[in-house]
Amino acid sequence: MAESDMRLEHSGHEPDSQSDWVTGLHPMDVLLRGERLPHIWCQGCGLGTALTTFIGALQWLEKNQNWDLDKVSVVSGIGCTGRIAGYIRLDSFHTTHGRAIPFATGLKLVNSELKVVVISGDGDIAGIGGNHFIHAARRNLDITVICVNNFNYGMTGGQSGPTTPHGARTVTAQYGNFEHPFNLPYLAAAGGASFVARWTVLHARRLEWTLREAMMHSGFSFVEIIAPCSTSYARWNLEGRGLDPQKLGRRGLEVMKHYQQVGKIGHDTHPKDAAIKVNEKGEINAIVEGVFLNEPKPEFRAAIKHKTQIAKERWSAAKKVLDARLKLPGRNDVVERTEVQLGGFGGQGIMSAGRIIGQAATLYDKIEACFTQSYGPEARGGAAGSQVVVAGEPIHHPHLIAPTSAIIMSQEAYVKYVPNLTSNGTLLIDDGLVTLPEDHRQDLKTYGIPATQIAEELGNARAANSAMLGFWAAIVGAVSQAAMRQSLADSVPPKTLEVNLKAFDVGFDKGVEVLK
Amino acid sequence: MSDKGLLTGEHFLLGDYAAAEGAILVGCRFFAGYPITPATEIAERMSTRLPQVDGIYIQMEDELASMNAILGASWAGAKSMTATSGPGFSLMMENLGLGIMLETPCVLVDVQRGGPSTGLPTLVGQQDMMQARWGSHGDYEIIALCPSSPQELFDLTIRAFNLAEKFRTPVLVMTDAEIGHMTERVVIPQPEEIEIINRPQVRKGDVEPDHFRIYRDTDTDGVEGTVSPMAIAGEGYRFHVTGLIHDELGYPAMNAESSEWNIKRLVNKIRAHRDEIIQLEEQNLDDAEIIVVSYGISARTSQWPIEQARKEGIRVGYLRLITIWPFPEKRIIELAKRIRAFVVPEINMGQICLEVERCAAGQAQVLGVNRLGGDILEPQQVLSAIRKAAGRSDQPQTDLQNRQTER
Repeated sequence: MAESDMRLEHSGHEPDSQSDWVTGLHPMDVLLRGERLPHIWCQGCGLGTALTTFIGALQWLEKNQNWDLDKVSVVSGIGCTGRIAGYIRLDSFHTTHGRAIPFATGLKLVNSELKVVVISGDGDIAGIGGNHFIHAARRNLDITVICVNNFNYGMTGGQSGPTTPHGARTVTAQYGNFEHPFNLPYLAAAGGASFVARWTVLHARRLEWTLREAMMHSGFSFVEIIAPCSTSYARWNLEGRGLDPQKLGRRGLEVMKHYQQVGKIGHDTHPKDAAIKVNEKGEINAIVEGVFLNEPKPEFRAAIKHKTQIAKERWSAAKKVLDARLKLPGRNDVVERTEVQLGGFGGQGIMSAGRIIGQAATLYDKIEACFTQSYGPEARGGAAGSQVVVAGEPIHHPHLIAPTSAIIMSQEAYVKYVPNLTSNGTLLIDDGLVTLPEDHRQDLKTYGIPATQIAEELGNARAANSAMLGFWAAIVGAVSQAAMRQSLADSVPPKTLEVNLKAFDVGFDKGVEVLK
Repeated sequence: MSDKGLLTGEHFLLGDYAAAEGAILVGCRFFAGYPITPATEIAERMSTRLPQVDGIYIQMEDELASMNAILGASWAGAKSMTATSGPGFSLMMENLGLGIMLETPCVLVDVQRGGPSTGLPTLVGQQDMMQARWGSHGDYEIIALCPSSPQELFDLTIRAFNLAEKFRTPVLVMTDAEIGHMTERVVIPQPEEIEIINRPQVRKGDVEPDHFRIYRDTDTDGVEGTVSPMAIAGEGYRFHVTGLIHDELGYPAMNAESSEWNIKRLVNKIRAHRDEIIQLEEQNLDDAEIIVVSYGISARTSQWPIEQARKEGIRVGYLRLITIWPFPEKRIIELAKRIRAFVVPEINMGQICLEVERCAAGQAQVLGVNRLGGDILEPQQVLSAIRKAAGRSDQPQTDLQNRQTER
């Protein structure tokens, strides 16, 4: 103990001892950070009740459901409600405005043993964080979201928000709110939440029961708590008796009385019909309360787990192929910088062909290669181009500076790429698809094979790129035949391996023939 | 062989994939992201690979959520990562700040494309370098690393995790579309061959929870730059953390004194370890009168013009910033005293150039070589700048083009 006391002395940023504040007299003290009290909330605010019912529900779960409260994490965003995280003695995270739900998502997905509860206000959950709210509901992530709705942005002084009733007054709606509010239970249900409820803070006992149920629910549970904002919202609206100086100190209570008058319990009400109703002056005149939705539904974390086995099987298969890769000795001769331009249309395997060359050079010939591709919109059939640099030395400049050879499989690619070829460069074309124009460059060494036709005859037109690769390997010689064959074998689907290798060999033989 | 789902050995790998494999090898088991070119392939790879190693991949609704989800994951004890590009990087700034404030280890890879706004989705840029330093509001220090090849993107992703864990802070890997979309040889070592650093952490029962201070910094008698042990959710510490200015307990403490303590803590833990964090690659600096200072893809493409300039008799050196933030001030100040000029090639209007200028403080001339996104720098541009810096005429055109045609 002595050492711990010393530690306390070193810290200059807090009261002398936490125990000075925690009296231990109240049964809820153990779950409150007494050293942080008094809280910042106004007189007549509903948040105290919201916190009390939450603690009550947790203690009930601890006692009756053997919950280990060390495993409960509370996450909140910004605003008056956001401060709850700071008063409750549990692992608690006071995050940025609107982002409590994604933070909670990370916590829960990593450690499914954790019970994660998000408590935040209406501006936080439905305004700035609205997108996160609907998506967490859609995933049916196993967390509980408690939204304390006081119809306005309280902490910043009472501006309108996503739940401010139509026609109600706020500091930014002095002529009456011209927007329409969210019906939060309906929003949650439509998103995919599997437990949806609403109470006002007046229903402290029922609220606590519902919170227990919500936290025990497997899947996304949502509880809206309607609470008075005695300082801001009540000031401008008749529920709190407005600016009546006689009632100023009692605004919160006045609002509660009003809720009592207009509230009606309606379990299983369709969330669509749970909208809070107002009269023409924007005064709330009907609130339905209860548990609207409670349905079993597959929970998100379990759905992820379910896929793990498939993933692992896939890995084993991939690993087998990787382990079976041939070990080649590599080449020892000098390889000068060879720049290859590949061009054709989408679907011809222009990208894979470039990649196969690069892979052959690095993994099997043990020289350097850098493969880049020209990205266009993700459309098949459009123009496709890829580039490979092969060299014996490290490649500093990854792009083609003056291509020394080209594999061209469409007329469009011919027009686009052939002018860039270096003088005396090697041009290889699929002469079934490319017709040389009359003014074809005479300074190039041009060779052609009907690659697509060859592949078709072998039974698969899509092996045309392999025929071109064989042709290229034989004529240009920058990468060895063995390396190219192995790289090709690594890269094509097993079912098409045979036809691709055959096409490669035909192309290679033609290349050898042409050179003779 | 290690078959815990870890990829090892030699591969012809896309840069983005290399980042994913580096993360997995160093122990990253949580990835949250949102599709964006040219970083999408990192997410794609992670979506396939993480389930194979019992990790979690999730596509969030946006980048705000992605960044926040990795913070939550880190507080649940996982090494976590996200990856994005310009527009998403902007959205992540908000919660990068939260990560810094809560002292949360995690890694963010920015595969830079041309900006501003939607900019050039498929094309390269290095225009987020200052955003990496100052993008989130307020005062803080950040660690950012800058790879020049897929292999280095792999290596630096590992290092980023190690630095994040060691200093309890988000670490940025500032790569670009060129490196991310480039395929090259990547050698992946056996897991036991790499250094793996795990965060300082208290486990259940290590400390009496009542006396645990999540941001205590008095253990080392006031030595600046301490990183205090972190607790993770569910271990019984019942701690509180907040994005507000806070005290040792993590409780809000909104006053000038606490602000001074809190921010200096965030800043000093990185400043005090600058020498350890900063990595540079240096060539021919001893006799240099001109030094090319660059990073990422631009450093790589500056290699040939430098060789060329040396052949022309210009004493030019090469300084590659592998760590971009914290900035290697000390080294630049030192070099500025004895050289004629710095040449700073980068794919932006001149961002890191400003830092070099600041450190050179008039002692040496600073010349930027710039291109505004869309393509990598032409070697000729850099060569011309070196010649200009050396006071030579730009006449002898023995540039790359000529070299090719000479053949």
